[in-house]
Amino acid sequence: MSRHSIQLLDAKQKITQFTFHEVYQKFISLGHKIWVKIACFFNKFSIPGKAGLIGLSLIFLIALLAPWIAGHSPRVSSGPPLIPPAWPHILGTDELGVDLWAQICYGARVSLLVGISTALLAGLVGGAVGIISGYIGGWVDKIIMRLVDIMIVLPDLPVMIVLAAFFGPSLVNIILVLALFSWVSPARIVRSQVLMLKEQNYIKAAEIYGASPWYLLWKHFLPELLPILVVNMIRLTGRAIVAEASLSFLGLGDPTSRSWGLIIHHATSFKGIYYTDFWKWWLFYPWLFLMLMVVSLAFISRDLERIADPRLGKK
Amino acid sequence: MPKKRSVKIISLLVLLTFFSCLFYGCSKDNDNTAKASKPESKKTADVIRLAGGNYGYLSPYAHYPRGPGSFKMRLIFDSLLEKDEKGYIPWLAEKYESKENGKQYLFTIRDNVKWHDGKPLTAEDVKFSFKYACKHPMVSSSISQNDIEKVEIVGDRQVLVTVKKPSAVMLGNLGTTRIIPKHIWENVDNPKEFLDEEAVIGCGPYILTDYSKEHGTYRFEAFKDYWGPKQRVKVIEFIPVSEAILAFEQGEIDMTSVTPDVLPRFENDPQYKIVESPAFWGYRMIFNMGETPVFRQKEFRQAICYALDKDDLIEKVQRGAGVPGSAGVLPPGHIMYNPNVKQYDHSIEKAVELLEKLGYDKLKNGVRVNSKGEKLSFNLLVGGEVRLAEVIKEHLGKAGIEINVQSVDGKTRDARVNENKYQLAITGHGGWGNDADYLRERFSDDTTSSGSISPNMARFKGYSKPELSQLLEKQFETIDENERKKQIFEAQELLAEDVPEIALFYTISYYVYKPEKYDGWMFMFDHHSLEHSKLSYLERD
Repeated sequence: MSRHSIQLLDAKQKITQFTFHEVYQKFISLGHKIWVKIACFFNKFSIPGKAGLIGLSLIFLIALLAPWIAGHSPRVSSGPPLIPPAWPHILGTDELGVDLWAQICYGARVSLLVGISTALLAGLVGGAVGIISGYIGGWVDKIIMRLVDIMIVLPDLPVMIVLAAFFGPSLVNIILVLALFSWVSPARIVRSQVLMLKEQNYIKAAEIYGASPWYLLWKHFLPELLPILVVNMIRLTGRAIVAEASLSFLGLGDPTSRSWGLIIHHATSFKGIYYTDFWKWWLFYPWLFLMLMVVSLAFISRDLERIADPRLGKK
Repeated sequence: MPKKRSVKIISLLVLLTFFSCLFYGCSKDNDNTAKASKPESKKTADVIRLAGGNYGYLSPYAHYPRGPGSFKMRLIFDSLLEKDEKGYIPWLAEKYESKENGKQYLFTIRDNVKWHDGKPLTAEDVKFSFKYACKHPMVSSSISQNDIEKVEIVGDRQVLVTVKKPSAVMLGNLGTTRIIPKHIWENVDNPKEFLDEEAVIGCGPYILTDYSKEHGTYRFEAFKDYWGPKQRVKVIEFIPVSEAILAFEQGEIDMTSVTPDVLPRFENDPQYKIVESPAFWGYRMIFNMGETPVFRQKEFRQAICYALDKDDLIEKVQRGAGVPGSAGVLPPGHIMYNPNVKQYDHSIEKAVELLEKLGYDKLKNGVRVNSKGEKLSFNLLVGGEVRLAEVIKEHLGKAGIEINVQSVDGKTRDARVNENKYQLAITGHGGWGNDADYLRERFSDDTTSSGSISPNMARFKGYSKPELSQLLEKQFETIDENERKKQIFEAQELLAEDVPEIALFYTISYYVYKPEKYDGWMFMFDHHSLEHSKLSYLERD
């Protein structure tokens, strides 16, 4: 990673010395280089990992392009209720006549939003807590670690249900509640890494030369910690998406939002859905997309873990 | 090595989930082999199981004020009169007569009636029950101190009740008040908190033998020394059920209601019988006129009536199994339903016209505003009926009224409706087939309220329309049935014009049961549910 950024810096410095045409040329070759880098990076993944990357990018595209590709409104009815997949409702409609494809497109936004913001929140908070605990040590470390132990012992879904019911149904609350239960694992991982790094000779040397903790953090700790943290956050994303779906499924999400879990919730609370044909599209497609997303994330995080930690990669 | 295994496990899981989903659809053609034996007329059943749910402890003071709670309690506690398909029938009272133009009622109490603890029921218990119910209103009793002047015991088995004002509804109100044992309740000062085992000693056909609040289960056993008709069902159990139709098909429960989509599955199959319920269970929308000034405008409420497409609501939320709400509140199946009241056929144009007349003539982001900048944007409180609320939101949105849906659980909604803590709310409940006097409970500002907390009586406290109040108070005191019908008709016309609340629709249920197993189910004349009728479980002539 760091070598890569140095190369980029070099390229930039050189650019300033050339004429426009050469700048253009350089720019193209830089683009090419980046592309090659991405391709190399992509090639590091195993086949499931590649499939995961493609799946995830597809979902990202769906979420980004939702207003253009949905074709119908995800909120108001646009056809007769519960018609099977057929043009113009390519995935059919639900019992209110709302187009399912549109709901899945916009639902991807909710799922990604919840997943990513939970992971960011939990990853940043957890990472910070881990660094503090590992670097300062002593009683601070002890208190934080006991807190972590408590959080690990708490069964998360029941407590999340209670909290979500207590705070009331809304997307922000769901994200906060999920983050509350997700910061523990990044905190533990980061702490152990910091403890290990602290004992390294080059850190000790830097400290002896008078490096401030801030400098150490930016120059030495973060570059080492970031890859591990990212891997962990991707795993958290998958978990958060499933947790959001299950909370929505239990009726604790924002009741009028259009997340995938909520589509599944409405479908399964439709009385006797399994005795009709409706589940074949109303329940099946949101489930399929949820599966696709979670499996993609799982594959990606598995491969990233291997790439970030070469020791695991050796077969 | 572990990695490979985990991939295998994951792919196995995926496959399993997929196939289990596939097979859900296939379980259709299982047990279609019904034995075609001819049904006997008097079938008895050892155990009947029905879908449970927690409706509170079944004393007349502690159960939850909704149908499933009241009717379980009524299996334990008898009253002087009972309801059959046509009307009231003598029950604990073997005879009753009204005297002096409805000022007095004389009930003759049956002999040889025993409480579940073996003690005999006397006229003294009946007198005590009336007095006690006046002092501490029961969850579902409708008598109060304002109604009853005195209760006397005549001879050894007769009770004479003198009411303050003669009224057509008094007989029903007295007759359905639960009779409770004096020897247990006379020392109870706070009946709502009296939750001993003794609190569920009644004289009804069933004894409560088990109750679990956490699981929502109840178990009733037939009372051996019951005075009345023999119980055809020895044990009734209410058990937790996640998917009612599945549970019914597998024989876990013995009756369920199904949606129109699932109906074909049971139709034309001789082992099942399907009964359509009368449309006496419905949803209504209520306005909190205290907080929001615009709700006080009749034109605004009318505009909402026009903007709502009730047929669309029924089509989507009920899958077609419903009857559109009448602007006169009483459902079309009601004996006093006035078919000629003003109805608001769905018309966005008329809604918009009325809203513009009120000054909300500008659209800002699709929401109507008036010259002061006040937006037509409201919170709609529902007790879990999110889908219904979403359709309403869509309908009203077309007229420029913005709705924010607030969904809480049903019990919280009921409580907030009772405390006037909402802006707009939707409440759904049974009892629409009851005596038309519930219009008085809901809309008369001259509240001689019985203290009952049934959702059927829930209303916005503060609505006042003197003309309507007078009429509703008058019908209460009218004995002549035809005269009273005229007054109720007139009240419906006033309601349809003023629309203090909007009846959205009344639901129709399709009950399915296996006559092979048990066939005693019946509807009471004013009620929507088979399992709620006491006579469903008893022998009949």
